[in-house]
Amino acid sequence: MSPRPTSPPPPLTGMKANLKGIAWYTVLIGISVVFVAPLVWMLLTSLKTTSEATAIPPAWLPAEPTTRAYQTLFAGGSQTPVLRWFLNSMVAATGQAIVVLVVASMAAYPLARMKFRGKNVIFGLIVGTLFVPGFVMLIPNFLMVDRLGWLDSVWALIIPGAASAFGVFFLRQFFSALPRELEEAALIEGANAWQIFTKVILPLSKPGLATLTVIAFLTNWNDFIWPVYVLFSPEKLTLPPGLATLQGAYTTDYPVIMAGAALASIPVLILFVVCQRYIIEGVSRSGLKG
Amino acid sequence: MRRSTPYLFLLPYVAIFATFTLVPAVYGIWISLHDWDYLLPGKPFVGLANYAALFDSASPVFDFFWQSMEATGIFTVASVPLLIVAPMGVALLLNRAFPGRTLFRAVYFAPYVLGVAVIGLLWRFLLDPNLGMVNSLLGTDIPWTTGLPWAWISLVGVTVWWTLGFNAVIYLAGLQDIPRDLYDAARVDGAGRWAEFRHVTIPGLRPVLTFVVINTILASANMFGQSYLITQGAPGVETRTAIMYIADEGLRSYRMGSAAAMSYFLTLGLLLVSVIVFRLFREKDK
Amino acid sequence: MTDNLTRRGLLGLGVGAGGAVLLGACGDDGPNPVVNGGGGDAQPAATSYSGPNVALTFWNGFTGGDGPVMKSLVEKFNAANPNIKVTMNVYEWADYYQKVPAAVSTGNGPDLGIMHVEQVATNAARGVVLPLDDVAASLQLKEEDFSPPVWRAGVYNSKRYAIPLDVHPQGMFYNKKVLQAAGLDPEKPPTTGDEYLAALDALKAKGIQGHWASPFPFTGVHQFESLTWQFGGQLFDDAASKPMFAEDAGVKALTWLVDLVKKGYSPKNVAQDADAIALQNGKAAFNWNGIWNINTLNGVKGLEWGVSALPQIGTQKAAWAGSHNFVQFKQKANDPNKLTAGKVFINFISQQSLEWAKGGQVPARKEVRESAEFKGLKEQSAIGTQIDDLHFPPSVPGIADAMATMDVAVNEAILLRKEPAKALADAAAKAGQILEQNKKKYG
Repeated sequence: MSPRPTSPPPPLTGMKANLKGIAWYTVLIGISVVFVAPLVWMLLTSLKTTSEATAIPPAWLPAEPTTRAYQTLFAGGSQTPVLRWFLNSMVAATGQAIVVLVVASMAAYPLARMKFRGKNVIFGLIVGTLFVPGFVMLIPNFLMVDRLGWLDSVWALIIPGAASAFGVFFLRQFFSALPRELEEAALIEGANAWQIFTKVILPLSKPGLATLTVIAFLTNWNDFIWPVYVLFSPEKLTLPPGLATLQGAYTTDYPVIMAGAALASIPVLILFVVCQRYIIEGVSRSGLKG
Repeated sequence: MRRSTPYLFLLPYVAIFATFTLVPAVYGIWISLHDWDYLLPGKPFVGLANYAALFDSASPVFDFFWQSMEATGIFTVASVPLLIVAPMGVALLLNRAFPGRTLFRAVYFAPYVLGVAVIGLLWRFLLDPNLGMVNSLLGTDIPWTTGLPWAWISLVGVTVWWTLGFNAVIYLAGLQDIPRDLYDAARVDGAGRWAEFRHVTIPGLRPVLTFVVINTILASANMFGQSYLITQGAPGVETRTAIMYIADEGLRSYRMGSAAAMSYFLTLGLLLVSVIVFRLFREKDK
Repeated sequence: MTDNLTRRGLLGLGVGAGGAVLLGACGDDGPNPVVNGGGGDAQPAATSYSGPNVALTFWNGFTGGDGPVMKSLVEKFNAANPNIKVTMNVYEWADYYQKVPAAVSTGNGPDLGIMHVEQVATNAARGVVLPLDDVAASLQLKEEDFSPPVWRAGVYNSKRYAIPLDVHPQGMFYNKKVLQAAGLDPEKPPTTGDEYLAALDALKAKGIQGHWASPFPFTGVHQFESLTWQFGGQLFDDAASKPMFAEDAGVKALTWLVDLVKKGYSPKNVAQDADAIALQNGKAAFNWNGIWNINTLNGVKGLEWGVSALPQIGTQKAAWAGSHNFVQFKQKANDPNKLTAGKVFINFISQQSLEWAKGGQVPARKEVRESAEFKGLKEQSAIGTQIDDLHFPPSVPGIADAMATMDVAVNEAILLRKEPAKALADAAAKAGQILEQNKKKYG
């Protein structure tokens, strides 16, 4: 197979296409409303007064918009340092995404492309643990992290989670689907395994790698059980347990809770919008380069 | 290729994996053979009693455990087909060049960046039978979070809303990997849209599809955040899922041995289902 | 307010329903390997500390309006004791109850903490907290200084592990405007079952569903518990070896709540918190809720509300209550200086419990409760009048796990899926099995 032009289908043209195009956008926009409305509602609620937020019947728009909820959050002093939690979450999630990318891609490569003794056993073990509910490992992992002296440190948030079988399984699937020809050509040119891995496999797998980055990042970003166990200092908390504290403090004060949720999610949303080109369209670039 | 090469590639991952997954998983089996509370000095060995209790209708866990397994079963059966088909539809919709594509992709993925704690709280409020926006918009008084089958419809609906973007992104990455020339060839052969989908798109997505199917089954079978937050297992314990009950048993009642046994029983069931899925896909390969 | 949140933090935690408040108590003679603190025959602990400088960590779940109050008390203590520096960390309660035992098990636990009364026995049995008999001795605290059930709940295996700080009972909150709209006197809320039903009828005539019956632990199960005690019943027998909530009093209590729904005094399908919100936005007239609700309602602009003792529906007065207690945690290395300094701290804060009451609590100490100053705190003292009628979750082996079955029964009945008697009987059968199981575990 030759290098594959994988550009998306060309845009529709002509009269018929115009009608189709309208139908197209109607469907897209229809679905979008369902997806966005709850988020818009979250934002609008964060700008309402408490009584407006719980009024019956509920209203969409705040009659008297107020930033009280946000002021409350930032005035909370040391009790609810939302920005601090945000930064901690960023560091942990980014760190883990990097570790996962490196170790999982290295492990997935031989599992997808090489023949060696014990391959099936190793892969079977890795995949098998995918099925074990994670919290069985909670206490054993906690004891392990303690022995390593990582309690209350960012390492406890980064390394243990990188053991997830998910990344290896995912990338092995991706690598397996890549065409063999380029790899074989490189072999004939005398490239070694490491060169093939870094110069052929990885560039071809950009979309898969980008997707895994996002998955690893978000998995860590949303983890709310593990941080509770391993973090002790309030200033080291990540967002999910932090938001739980917020809910603890503001019970039915929905504007404040929604403001916290909005602060937590908007930066990640922006990050996704910025990165998604690489995530999804990295494919076409890798196709051209390959 | 040197003989050690594959092992060297595997080394960094396996080191982390062994420390933080394999050893704890094996330790978990050990725990399941004991009456185990990590803080109590006495952790009596009970053999397979924790497993036997799952099949003994006179044991305190029997009813609750099978009730929770049933809940997990209902949720998985109801949500998995939707979570496989709907994101594929969305991925196909988005897999072309049109103005605003980036925006739409972001929109569909947006809910997924919110943690379950946030979406749970948000939807519990929106779905409140007496005060919520959903009933207010529809002009109904449906017990979305407290009645059946409504609670299941809510849980499945919220889960689809929340995670659709995730599967869609995987499908999109897979779609972009399907060589353009295969479509061209199909078109030259006079294949219609449907034939193209069946003979080019689906086979091209197969590796990704296996992954999506298994991963979705696992995610659905491990569901508990949504139930915990939105319905709190209500009505009664009808929507209390297996993981939610296991967490109760292990982390709240400190019966880690019993909880571990339940986990491994669930693991076994999931492995079985996954083997069947693998088989199905492999047969199609032939 | 913070207590209300326990259940939510659980979500945060991923641990089961019910939350810390229902987390378990435990038995009388379980293994108790650690006795580093002041044990049963201990001499009175020091009330001052003159050793080398020590730093203590103090963890609690005061995330709400009570957090800053405790923080200022800690600062006051630090200023008065230059050789002791106490640092306070606040977590969501449910997170806290997960975190603390894990931290203690690795020697990373804090020196001091707060626990709900029904948590104390469990944590004593699991070796998480240390005996404090010497503190009780040096404070010269006795049962009659406190509400007896709270005071007794701090004892496990005939050693005291907890010093009560406050009690937080359930009270009847009411929306004055709504009462007025139905032609009722907003300054004279109902005090008996007949008056209560008459008020609900008057409200119903105006199209208002006066009492939203919640099927969830907050607040429905607490209401069920209050009513069961009011009808002369018990949740468990005295040794907590068998459930009694399915007996006559329990059935009467639950039937009364279910009838609120059946007779249209409450809407069907009340979701979590909907009852509290309904009071805030004028959809309901009454809400039986915990004392923490004072802080919440104070934050709602334009709301005219009041709070009183629960009306007497049954044959006697009774109300559910919880309680915060001081505890000292087990450490890997036994540092007598830190232990002494910690006891000085507990002593100090305990004497400041009037300050603490301003954060929205009823002080545990009788003398403070009876002071003119406390009586000046209108809402707190209105709820505080119930002090002699309060009942606490039992502090006996395996109770929390058994109580979770009761939550299910209340949920099923109020959602009209099972008849009250049947729901309670099913739950009691299950609870009996669980109590049996826990007896084995804790001895």
